[in-house]
Formats: sequence, C-alpha cells, structure tokens
Amino acid sequence: MSKLTTTDLTRRFMGLVAVNKVSFSMDEGEILGIIGPNGAGKTTFINLVSGIIMPTEGKIEYKGRDITYMPAHERARIGIARTYQLIHPLENLSLLENVMVGSIFARGKSLKAARKQAEKLCAELGLENLDRDPSRLTILEVKRMEIAKALSNEPEVLFLDEVMAGLNADETKDLIATVQKIAKERKLAVGVVEHVMGVIRELTHRVIVLEAGELIAEGPYEEVSKNTRVIEAYLGGAA
Amino acid sequence: MNRSTSRIITMAAIAIMMVLPAFAGDYPLQVARNVMMYMALAITWDMLLRSGQISFGLAGLVGLGSYATILAVVRGGMPDWLSILFAGLFSGLVAFGIGFFILRLRHTYFSIVTLALGEIFRIIIHNLHDFTGGPEGIVIQQGVMFGGKSGPLYWLTLAGLGVALAASYWFEKSKFHFALTAIRNNEVSAKTSGVNIFRWLLATFVITSAIQGMIGGIFVQSYGFASPDSVFSADFTLLPMAMALLGGIHSTVGPILGGILLGLVSEWLKLQIPYGHLVVYGLMIIVVILFMPSGLLGIARKAGSRKSTDENQRRAV
Ligand SMILES: Nc1ncnc2c1ncn2[C@@H]1O[C@H](COP(=O)(O)OP(=O)(O)OP(=O)(O)O)[C@@H](O)[C@H]1O
Ligand SMILES: [Mg+2]
Repeated sequence: MSKLTTTDLTRRFMGLVAVNKVSFSMDEGEILGIIGPNGAGKTTFINLVSGIIMPTEGKIEYKGRDITYMPAHERARIGIARTYQLIHPLENLSLLENVMVGSIFARGKSLKAARKQAEKLCAELGLENLDRDPSRLTILEVKRMEIAKALSNEPEVLFLDEVMAGLNADETKDLIATVQKIAKERKLAVGVVEHVMGVIRELTHRVIVLEAGELIAEGPYEEVSKNTRVIEAYLGGAA
Repeated sequence: MNRSTSRIITMAAIAIMMVLPAFAGDYPLQVARNVMMYMALAITWDMLLRSGQISFGLAGLVGLGSYATILAVVRGGMPDWLSILFAGLFSGLVAFGIGFFILRLRHTYFSIVTLALGEIFRIIIHNLHDFTGGPEGIVIQQGVMFGGKSGPLYWLTLAGLGVALAASYWFEKSKFHFALTAIRNNEVSAKTSGVNIFRWLLATFVITSAIQGMIGGIFVQSYGFASPDSVFSADFTLLPMAMALLGGIHSTVGPILGGILLGLVSEWLKLQIPYGHLVVYGLMIIVVILFMPSGLLGIARKAGSRKSTDENQRRAV
C-alpha cells in the first residue's frame, strides 16, 4: 500500500525552481534512494514532504489524506519523521532527553513514559551512557542519536538526509545494518539521501534521481545507474 | 554547580525569607519586599527567555497590572486581595490577545515590539485622564492593604514571589522544559519532533505576563498609589534582566542568586545615586553579557567541571 505520494510537487525560490513537478510514491516497508548531484533539490524535497517549507504547486498525500499544507508538527504526529543534513542536537538536554522529545510531543506521552521509550530506542540503536551531553558524542553516536530521535515520533515514513556523511567505511556498514533492521522491524517506508553510491546500492530497493529539481529517472539502482541521462547529470555536475 | 547545590541555595533563600519578619524591623522588611518583587520579575522574565524570546516588556506588564488593581479598587470597589488576582487575570488576558500577533515575531523584532507595547500601555493610561487620573496618578483613598503594616505586606509579597517560584519550578520539571529548550535550540527541529511552537510560546507568555501583572498589583497595594512614571518605570525592566543575567539564565536558581545580590546592591545604590542607579544596571547588563554570558552559575559550573576533570586525570594516572 502506498504511504506517501506527491503529485507535480513544485517549489520555487524567487527565480529558481528547486523542485519541479515531482510525482512519486513510497510504499510500506520500502527503502527508497533519493539521489542527484549537489543542489538537485533533494533536501528541498524532504523539507516539502516533512512540512518545513510549503510547496508553490502540487499535492502531497499521506495514506490517502491530503497533507499538502499541513503544519510540520502535525505531520510529525501522523507519522512522518526525518533527520537533518546539518545536525543540531538540543544543547542543555542529555542524550536521553534528546531522544525523549518526539515521544513527548509527537506522541503525547508523559515524561515518564517518554523516558522509558527513549531508553528502549537508545538500547536498540546501541547508544550507551545516556546522561552524556550531546557535545561529547562521537560522529557515529550523533548519527545514531538523530535516528533514535526521529524514531521517537513512532513514524511510518522516515527520511534520512545524508546520515552516512562523514562516517568511515566500517561505521557506514554498521549504520546500513541498523537502518535495514529498524526499517524491517517497523515496516517503515524510508527515504534515503546519500552521495555514496555504494550505500545506495546496498541499502535501497528503488531509487529516484533528481536533477535541477526534476525527477529524471526511477527504478532499481542497477537499472538507473546505467541510464544515460543519469550518467550525464552526474558528469555534468562534476564538470 | 550541580543540582543539589542549586537546591541548597534555593532552600536557604526561602528559609531566610521565611524567618526574616521575626527579627527584622520595618525598613529592612521594606527592602526585602522590593528585592522579592524584582526577583519574582527576574524569574518570570527568565521563564520566557528559556524559549529564546527576549522580552523588554516587563515594565509594561507591571504597569498594566498596577493600573488593573488600582482602578478595580478605586473605580470598581473591588476587595483588595481580589484586585491582585484581577491584575493577574487581566494581564494574562491582554497577553493572550497580543500574543497571537507578536509571538510570530522573533529576536530583535519581538524585543522591540514588547518594549513598544509597554510604552503604548503607558501612553493610553497617561491620556485617559478622567478614568486613570492621568500623569498625576491615582491614590487608593481608603488606604492600602493591611493598613500598610510591614509584616503582612511582607507576607503578601513573599506569596507573590512564591507563585513565580512555583511556576518556574513547574516549568523546569514538566513538558515546558522540553518544549522551551527545543524551541530555543532550533525551531525547525522542534517542529519535526511534533512541538507546536506557537502554542507553547503563547502559554508561556500568558503565564509569565499574568504573574508580572500580579506583581504590579501587589506593588500598588503596598504603596497605595500608581502613576505612569512610577509603575511603568524602566527599573522594572532593567533590574530584573540584570538580576537574571548576573545570576545565570535558563534556571530558577540563577535569578534567585542574582536577585539577592543585585537586589541589596540596588537598594543601596538608590540611596547613594537616586538618579544614576539605572546607569549602573545598564552597565552591569553590558558587562555580564560581554564577559560572563552564563552568569555566576556558569562560572560556578565551570569551576565544578574543572575540578571533576582534574579528578578524572588523577584517577587515570
Ligand atoms: N531556502 C532557500 N532559499 C533559496 N534557495 C534555496 C533554499 N533552499 C534551497 N535552495 C536552493 O535550491 C536548490 C536545491 O537545494 P537543495 O538543498 O535541495 O539541494 P540538495 O540536492 O539537497 O543538495 P546537496 O546534495 O548539496 O545537499 C539549490 O540551488 C539551493 O541553493
Ligand atoms: Mg541536501
């Protein structure tokens, strides 16, 4: 069943069309790669579906319901979660407390129940010493914390915006396994933005390719990676 | 500074305030009343600051509450104690109304608008001569509460401070703490975690404004008089800000600490330089912001953590 669909989703910034008539859909349990060169509109697309910015045109539906102009905090409540490319842990809150926030506000849990839930999530993600200040975490721990934080919304759809960036090969492998596990156990629909194609190949069932805001290709990674338009887009970006 | 030290400071401060009337004379009690009033304002100012919003509207709300009380008594014949609650209710309602518009603003814009609103309240009251008494002010003819006896007035002010303390403590221990900290850190990520930012800011603004208005009510019930110059005085804005900044922001204990220190200093300054003390608060705010942005608490915390790293190093060797 399709969880999230967009129809002709468009966002303009002044003259620039950052996302241009993108129509796509995401199914339960599916891990979808969202790729494209720098500035292609991947983050803007996630901002649109998570409600951080509003579209200029087009439509967003979640489980058959029109959510095109729904505020972000309400989308968090109905099951859409995400991480950020630029991570901002909440200062003055411990690691555990950071992970409580989604339970408290997206789920409306009491502080006590949220604490319990956060402990469970941290254990699941292999996070320890939960009283630590987020500034004392390693990069891998910060990434895990961001995922735990997003999961505390108890989402059905999750977007990960370059969570693997800055990790070494072993750490990346580690986190790929984690993402696969949490997605499978929760039947999550996951949208993954990554620049490292190895990650995309290993992790995703299907990819969409954006270039200058437009969706230019769609399909399994093996197929899309042979698509001449996609190859040109990447070469063009590199040149 | 750790949690138990903070608790000890808070408890000690409350204990001193509880026993003070047993042995202090009228003048020390009056000084203590002023200190407690400013401290209550400092605490409520800090409560909104925990969301990242800097209000310059303290004097505006104190003035509004003061006039709500005095007009309810003089024009409406309201009982004294009820008029104080009325000041809180009225200020809260006004905050609710204007909050809908101004809580969409951020940073400098929010600060400037809160300052301007206070000024607008003052000008309106100044000009509604027949109702408010205009620039000359208005007096409670039937006399102040408790016949002006310093003991009962002291307890009244302490009760006002108690309300501010209880509210602040509640904020620290409840969902408010998470909501306001998340908003202050990053509004975009707060939304993504389901925080309805506007709702939490509005609740905070209404609660803190209601307490500030109530403090205004206690002020006029203690002195029996209100004029635009006395109850909209810049003292009410600057001194509490300086107290919270000096002690350490984003906590209950910071404003208490800063309140005691600066409260006593300010009473002395008022005697020494009746017209210049505002300059001293202004300078103090500047110096604290520049050189010790996390206040005395921050300095204590740093000393504490330095000690614990020393210990760790020793243990490691
Ligand atoms: N708030 C904004 N205002 C103006 N332009 C913006 C804004 N956000 C994004 N853009 C522009 O929209 C385009 C798409 O940006 P976006 O961040 O979505 O790209 P991206 O695919 O995520 O790139 P990267 O791989 O570098 O993260 C870029 O040209 C960017 O400069
Ligand atoms: Mg991006």
